[in-house]
Amino acid sequence: MFRKLAGIYNYLKHKSQDYFQSEQPQEEESEQEKVPRDIQKVKQKLAETFADCSDFVLRELKIGDDSQFKVILAYFEGLTDHEIINNGILDPLMIESKKIGIDRRHEGELIQKIKEEIINVGEVGEADTFTRTVEELLAGGTVLYIDGQGTALKFDTTAWEERGVEEPQTESIVRGPREGFVESLSTNISLLRRRIKNANLKFKVLNLGVQTNTDVAIGYLAGIVNEDVLKMVEERVQRIKIDAVLESGYIEEFIEDSPFSIFPTVGSSERPDKVAGKLLEGRVAILCEGTPFVLTVPYLFIEAFQSSEDYYNRPYVATIGRSLRFLALIITAALPAFYVAVLTFHQNILPFELLLNITAAVEGIPFSPFFETLVLGTAFELLREAGVRMPKPIGQAVSIVGALILGEAAVEAGIASHPIVIVTAVTAITSFILSPLLEPLIFIRLFLLVAANTLGFMGMGLVIITIFVHLVNLKSFGVPYLAPFSPLSGMDLEDTLVRFPLWAMLTRPRILAWREEEGEKYRLDANLIKKEE
Amino acid sequence: MIEEAKISGYQLGMLIVGFVFGSSVILNPAAVAYQDAWFAQLLAWLGGFVLLGLYVAIYLLSPEQNLIETLREGFGKYLGSLIGLFYIWYFIHLASLVFRDLGEYMMTVTYTETPLVFLIISFSLPIAYLVKSGIEAIGRTAEITIFVIPISVLITVVLLIPNYDFNSLQPFLEEGLTPVLEGAFNNLSFPFGETVIFLMLFPALNEKDKLIKASSLGLFVAGVLLITITLRDIMVLGSNIFRRAIFPAHLSTTLLPAEIDQLIAINWLLGSGAKITVCIYATVKGLAELFKLNSYKLLALPTVVLAVGLSLWSFDDLIGLLRWSSEIYPYYALPFQIVIPVLLLIILLFKRYLR
Repeated sequence: MFRKLAGIYNYLKHKSQDYFQSEQPQEEESEQEKVPRDIQKVKQKLAETFADCSDFVLRELKIGDDSQFKVILAYFEGLTDHEIINNGILDPLMIESKKIGIDRRHEGELIQKIKEEIINVGEVGEADTFTRTVEELLAGGTVLYIDGQGTALKFDTTAWEERGVEEPQTESIVRGPREGFVESLSTNISLLRRRIKNANLKFKVLNLGVQTNTDVAIGYLAGIVNEDVLKMVEERVQRIKIDAVLESGYIEEFIEDSPFSIFPTVGSSERPDKVAGKLLEGRVAILCEGTPFVLTVPYLFIEAFQSSEDYYNRPYVATIGRSLRFLALIITAALPAFYVAVLTFHQNILPFELLLNITAAVEGIPFSPFFETLVLGTAFELLREAGVRMPKPIGQAVSIVGALILGEAAVEAGIASHPIVIVTAVTAITSFILSPLLEPLIFIRLFLLVAANTLGFMGMGLVIITIFVHLVNLKSFGVPYLAPFSPLSGMDLEDTLVRFPLWAMLTRPRILAWREEEGEKYRLDANLIKKEE
Repeated sequence: MIEEAKISGYQLGMLIVGFVFGSSVILNPAAVAYQDAWFAQLLAWLGGFVLLGLYVAIYLLSPEQNLIETLREGFGKYLGSLIGLFYIWYFIHLASLVFRDLGEYMMTVTYTETPLVFLIISFSLPIAYLVKSGIEAIGRTAEITIFVIPISVLITVVLLIPNYDFNSLQPFLEEGLTPVLEGAFNNLSFPFGETVIFLMLFPALNEKDKLIKASSLGLFVAGVLLITITLRDIMVLGSNIFRRAIFPAHLSTTLLPAEIDQLIAINWLLGSGAKITVCIYATVKGLAELFKLNSYKLLALPTVVLAVGLSLWSFDDLIGLLRWSSEIYPYYALPFQIVIPVLLLIILLFKRYLR
């Protein structure tokens, strides 16, 4: 069924692609307009383009020995740095140009002269087309139009308000760096570059979003990354044609392998150290302007169990953490279903005394265990949603009211039984351990619950097998989702349930280079040297 | 036919473990030999190696070809296709038998008030999905699920130690060799001879050099598991109850300390699931081969529906099923498991070496 839906989805996707492709050439033709030579025309066009843009600044200047050249300086207030414009552009233009002595003789080489001898701004470039200059203005640049030249000069004066680097709100850890990504793409890139001081760390910047023109960077470590994966990522990202890219989630939805699967096949993280680690393993990162969440692909199932802290702590601690997370997965997915199955079909599995206690607790409750579990589970999800949406101080109150008062009152009133409250609470607590799988787990819990109520353990077994089959079918950018468990990849098991000591991890994840099976190429040289010593 | 997806040697071995373990642990075919059932099973196991060797030899003589293609090569286009059709019937019939076994088992043991048809249908849906996902998914699902079987067998064997009575194994060969041979013959046809079906799966193996190793190791593990379970059941139940119980393996697990027998039942679910999946896969693959279809995946659901229907119509009740599978099945399966493969091997040998 999924495949069929995916077929329809792909069809629609291609359809929309064709639509955009047929549209684009015409747009481009009209846009490829030269910068007018006549400065009055430029002024008129700018006024047209930026009509009703109150933050747009347009300054007419006269430069040269006898003020014989008319120029227009344009920029956006708030996107640019006043200091740079004043000291680096305005000041030299109005004063230096007179000192150097530019006159009519220099008209041909005016642009060169301004660029090389007058302006003292770091990044200077030329723009031929009017559209290019508009883009530059919108990105925080300053553009200088010169009368009679047909080419404009652009200066990088970008400077806008941005949040400082703070500790990330999600993925908190005890030991490890406290830095998190911010909304600015260049800051994020610098955060990664600071961790990997290597010329092989590449970032390809693309422009996405027909209306928003958002900058998106594809980061990878050349030489380590799997070329096939990189090519796939580039193709898929370039294929995206939408109006707006406001968050990396927009990109995620377009590049997923199985858009109808409940499981995520694209990872996201707010932690630079984590993303740097993934880059070093050979993954590709996709950074998006305007969001601290960086996507990493390929994303495998096992990554939900890996925390960056695992590598900062000693291997024993990390291994215990991993095992606990696997246990949490089992509990949070299956505990409510297990409870319902036991009460409905398999009472004799419980020790006799426990059975007596549970029977006593359940007695007098008018609802079936299934219904109770479903209602309490839904109530919990509502509380969670309320906790997220509420302003933070109120959120705490909501959780106290929800957890303590409502639960206790429901039991007292005979609406729910004690065991079910325990089951729901344990399920809820454990579900937060695996935050990347939070959403799929809600579905899995529900499927298992229905199956357990219908066929007990056998039903649960059937649903689990079905989920396994689905997981086995999944791929993330060509890499099997369940790797390294299936297909079994012996060397990669070093970083799964058990985290080996760092000096014992001799190879990079071979699963990420699944198609080329050259063991040698992916050996981690630094570790080898350490071992030989 | 295009076959891109492949399975590894490990996955093939796991599939063989699941397939052989399959439903033969629910119904013990060697039980006619009473306390010597383990010996009968041992003999059948050794015979199983011979048969598997026969099938592997056939495959090695006609590499990269599945059973239908090999039959066509050996017996000519028309006769080969006809025999292939019979084999397809045998595969789907086998699937329906396992469906019925499992359904009856579930209905007798746990879900006494649930209709059989509901049990079988709910069991068939994941299998249809699995077969539709292709051979790669089958292999990889086996890879991550079948390992549960040895573990749970080990758990039961260890936990039942207090119940063991070694005297139940004596006297050895009380009635002579005849019951032992009878049990061995039954057991050879069910499940060891059924591995003929893997002639449909061998071409999907991507590590060709591991064929012999993977298949023999799979059969080895499965045989060890089956014999262990038989020994366990005889020692726990005593030879008399062992012979009379319909589901001896289940009966002995009910004696487990924490009464976790229903959790242990998961491994029968897995084994039977693996067996049915392989059967359905072989059927659809054979049909696609026979009628030169591009893809076998579309046939998965219809074939499963057919097998479910067949499983419900074939027998009136559990007793009929038991009677048929112990008295008729060994002879019914004989041509498919031994006669035709031997003939095929001889013809292939002639074609390869004497011409």
